[in-house]
Amino acid sequence: MNALIKLELARALRNKKFLFFSVLYPTSLFLIFSSSSGSGEKVDGTGLTVATYLMVSMASFGALTAVLMGNSERIAKERESGWVRQLRLTTLPGRGYVFAKIASAAVVSLPSIIVLFIAAAAIKHVHLDAWQWLALTGIIWAGSLVFAALGVAIGYLATGDAVRPITMIIYFGLSILGGLWMPTTTFPKVLQDIAKWLPTHAYAALGRAIEQSQTPSTTDVAVLAGYFVLFAGGAAWLYRKDTLKA
Amino acid sequence: MTTTAAPATTTPVVGFDQVTKSYGDVRAVDGISLRLHPGQTVALLGPNGAGKSTTLDLLLGLKHPDSGTVSLFGGTPREAIAAGRVGAMLQSGGLMDEVTVAELVKLGCSLHPRPYKAADVMARAGIAQIADRKVNKLSGGQAQRVRFALATAGDSDLIILDEPTTGMDVSARQAFWATMREQADQGRTVLFATHYLEEADAIADRVLVLHRGRLLADGTAAEIKAKAGARRVSFDLEGEIDGTALRALPFLTSIDISGQTVRIQSTDADATVHAVYGLGVYPRNLEVAGLGLEQAFVAITEAEEAKQS
Repeated sequence: MNALIKLELARALRNKKFLFFSVLYPTSLFLIFSSSSGSGEKVDGTGLTVATYLMVSMASFGALTAVLMGNSERIAKERESGWVRQLRLTTLPGRGYVFAKIASAAVVSLPSIIVLFIAAAAIKHVHLDAWQWLALTGIIWAGSLVFAALGVAIGYLATGDAVRPITMIIYFGLSILGGLWMPTTTFPKVLQDIAKWLPTHAYAALGRAIEQSQTPSTTDVAVLAGYFVLFAGGAAWLYRKDTLKA
Repeated sequence: MTTTAAPATTTPVVGFDQVTKSYGDVRAVDGISLRLHPGQTVALLGPNGAGKSTTLDLLLGLKHPDSGTVSLFGGTPREAIAAGRVGAMLQSGGLMDEVTVAELVKLGCSLHPRPYKAADVMARAGIAQIADRKVNKLSGGQAQRVRFALATAGDSDLIILDEPTTGMDVSARQAFWATMREQADQGRTVLFATHYLEEADAIADRVLVLHRGRLLADGTAAEIKAKAGARRVSFDLEGEIDGTALRALPFLTSIDISGQTVRIQSTDADATVHAVYGLGVYPRNLEVAGLGLEQAFVAITEAEEAKQS
């Protein structure tokens, strides 16, 4: 399986478009969004500066991009091309294919987070304690597994033609409605109520709690854990269904 | 139905026992039982839609039978594959794209418990010169050879090939079968599906004829050829036609007389034509032609049904 992970990774690192969107794009958005406000300006009710607040949003967004975008499309297309079948004729255990996909995405999402943090600290003067930087990196990286599972589920659900628009809708829907692009406090009441229950909202809230040196809210942890069970369970079920049909 | 004799003591490489598989109302595989023994080179011969691919999918555990059992080396297909005992090349098998041929073959080698060197695998498959090319930039024939390389990346006991020469030109075909024969000579069991009788004849020491999901015939290539190798003879006669004498011609399998035209199917066209002249008639517009495979299958089917009734 290591050989497959290595090759998946080599392929991901060679794909300049994918690297741009998962590593540089979130950092660029962060710099653009945070440039409009002064360095002392705080986001209402959080006690965090705009740059600090946005840093977590955009790091979450970048990790989401890395684990969701590439995999769903690849899995759907490789199911159609028959590569998944071909792999089933090797000694690779059935789940090895999915694990290799998730592992290679996780390797790309880590630099995406770190590059953004470096930009935030160096250019936007975001100050956090050492433990906060480490905990943030860890929690955003680990939390991205929820969306990696979602990517796999979409890959097994969608056909090769439909996978891109479906992924895009879910990706932008989760990013924007979940408040990764702008604080949900700016949303109308209805959207705020929806946002509370989205995995992306809970995901960024965990990171923000670390920035505020607070214990993450149990609701957010429960929401994220619930989505993980839902997405991973769905992916496993769809995977098995696909295996029987292939 | 003849069965190639094999020692009864060895575990069969492949065992099918009353296997059926349907898609909706279509019975793709309809009660197939067979055993393949170590070292055999076996052709699975049949026209398109005969159930060849479904049979191979069942054999590899990619599909599960509706009823009956499939075994490989005495265990389940998945166990045999996980142990690296099977190398397979399917028509529907895709390739990972955006990687080079060499990278993909190396992956294939590293997934095998008893791998060969990637360079050797590529040389044998005739893809050494395209090693650095991206997989998604290959022609159909080149992609077939990469699939073949993946199927032979390690020391497997059984090699399965589904219409392996599709998309290859004549010289590539010959080179391919030469390589395949080497594999068989090393004592491997090789099972390949084809719709070319000539391929089955040239390569296989046992031929399974599949038609509409059923095993029509099982024997050596020579036996199958005798059954399927009927030829069509047609000619025109002038004046009164002596139907009784024509029907008594040797090696006839069927005869049709309409107007002045006589159409015959014969298992030995030379002898039949000779006997026509022996009747003292002068056939005009004489034509002797081979049967297409589809017609040959119909001929075998009719022969089998006649035998059974």
